[in-house]
Amino acid sequence: MINWGKVWSDFFIFLALTSNVGFIFSHDPYQLVIAIGVNLLATVLKFGAKKILAAELLATALVADLHLIPATILYFMETHVPLAIGLAIGAAVANVISIVMLVIEIIFEYQKEEEL
Amino acid sequence: MKNNNRKKQKHYGDVRPKNYRAIYEEKFYDILFQLRYPLMTVIFFTTIGVLALMIINGKSDGTSVLNYFFHTVITFSTVGYTEGYDVDPQHLMMNRFFATIFIIISIPFVYMYGLVTTVNVFINSNIAEIYNYWRMYKAMEQLRGHYIICRFNGITRELMKNLKRRGIKFVLVEPDPSLEQDIKDFGVDFYVIDEPHKRSVLLGVGIEHAKGLVTAFEDNTQDLSVIVTARLIRPDKEHFMVFATATTEGAAEKMKLLGANEVIVPDVSVGRRMTSFILHPPSPVLSGFLEKIAYGERTDIDIMEIRIDSNSDLVGKKLKDIRMRQETGATIVAIIRADGKMKIAPSGETEIKEGDSLIVLGHPKALKRVEEFFESHQIENEEEVART
Repeated sequence: MINWGKVWSDFFIFLALTSNVGFIFSHDPYQLVIAIGVNLLATVLKFGAKKILAAELLATALVADLHLIPATILYFMETHVPLAIGLAIGAAVANVISIVMLVIEIIFEYQKEEEL
Repeated sequence: MKNNNRKKQKHYGDVRPKNYRAIYEEKFYDILFQLRYPLMTVIFFTTIGVLALMIINGKSDGTSVLNYFFHTVITFSTVGYTEGYDVDPQHLMMNRFFATIFIIISIPFVYMYGLVTTVNVFINSNIAEIYNYWRMYKAMEQLRGHYIICRFNGITRELMKNLKRRGIKFVLVEPDPSLEQDIKDFGVDFYVIDEPHKRSVLLGVGIEHAKGLVTAFEDNTQDLSVIVTARLIRPDKEHFMVFATATTEGAAEKMKLLGANEVIVPDVSVGRRMTSFILHPPSPVLSGFLEKIAYGERTDIDIMEIRIDSNSDLVGKKLKDIRMRQETGATIVAIIRADGKMKIAPSGETEIKEGDSLIVLGHPKALKRVEEFFESHQIENEEEVART
């Protein structure tokens, strides 16, 4: 049976990475607005999740946000655009780590189900 | 007397202590969990609003995006200006049309659901209370040399009142949750509502750093289980005191054998006190004076017993020569010899012998100095022994 709650939260975690990477290559303002919106959604979705790596997942999401928020401000102020792109790359790395931990989480949960 | 060479021993079973602070940290986290969906709607609609206005107006420079962000937020917060920026006439119709639709959709979701729920969560979740518990348990973790008191009743109330007056720290463990309000009203600094016979609970209230434990249940079996659990974690009777109450002398004996340092049977103690009133009719001045000292009701005077063993270099000296009263301010009121004979109000010529018990009376601060005074005479001697 597919767990729709998981589809929902995983969807935003993956979308956070893809939209972020999309901005790094397109340098497009629309893409940036989508990326920051999705990243914030992914962070909020991790609130209160009682998983094994919950704290680490929330930490990476906050790192991604704290990269993207200054990146957005810098980009729209048109002052340090290369720095904005750099920050977005940093956020993408945080998102990749987030996905790696998500996979570890899935393996742990799978093992737990096996034991039962 | 010194316990600085006591190493941290691994206790039996290796149970993990219950972390009371973490329980309340988790409650904070639960509040965040409740904010998940309301915050998501706010973020989602903000993103959609900004994006749609960017697309409709075909502008993506910084000033415009900031304007669209502002426009979106004032829309769903029902503050409601018109556009706070110049709109290209060709985009005006579309802009207004989108704004109308956006208001209709976003106000119920973002304003009614998102913002109202967020405020509601904050109002209903007793954040202040959770914070108070969290602060209490965080401070409890720092306690060293405190006492653990089990059960909130008349006996422990009196005990806590006296400990408080002396500034001795303690943690109360009470299994009955219905007494929590009474405990709060009584003004207990540190308490947990939990079963004290569980290892995790005793470890959680810091039994490993505690000086002693008092268990005063009405029921002997509960006292026994607490004593045994505590003794298994802290087997050393000298460094960790366990005091208990029992309903019968037989139970008291068992408790002592199982690890309690002292056990009081309340009925027997009260009966004996009554007998003493009959045998020595109370006088208005003296009545209860020694009792008050012995039970610590007076904070300005206290009594203590000092044992003189063979390690002390005071053995064989006369009382006037050791100059204890001049150095500490406390007085030796009696000497109990090794054979049990008591010498009341000893003169300066009295000689200290091995095995003596000196009864010292004085201000609690003076008695602290007395302790140090006798300890200093002890240590010098030990060092001399080590050197030779």
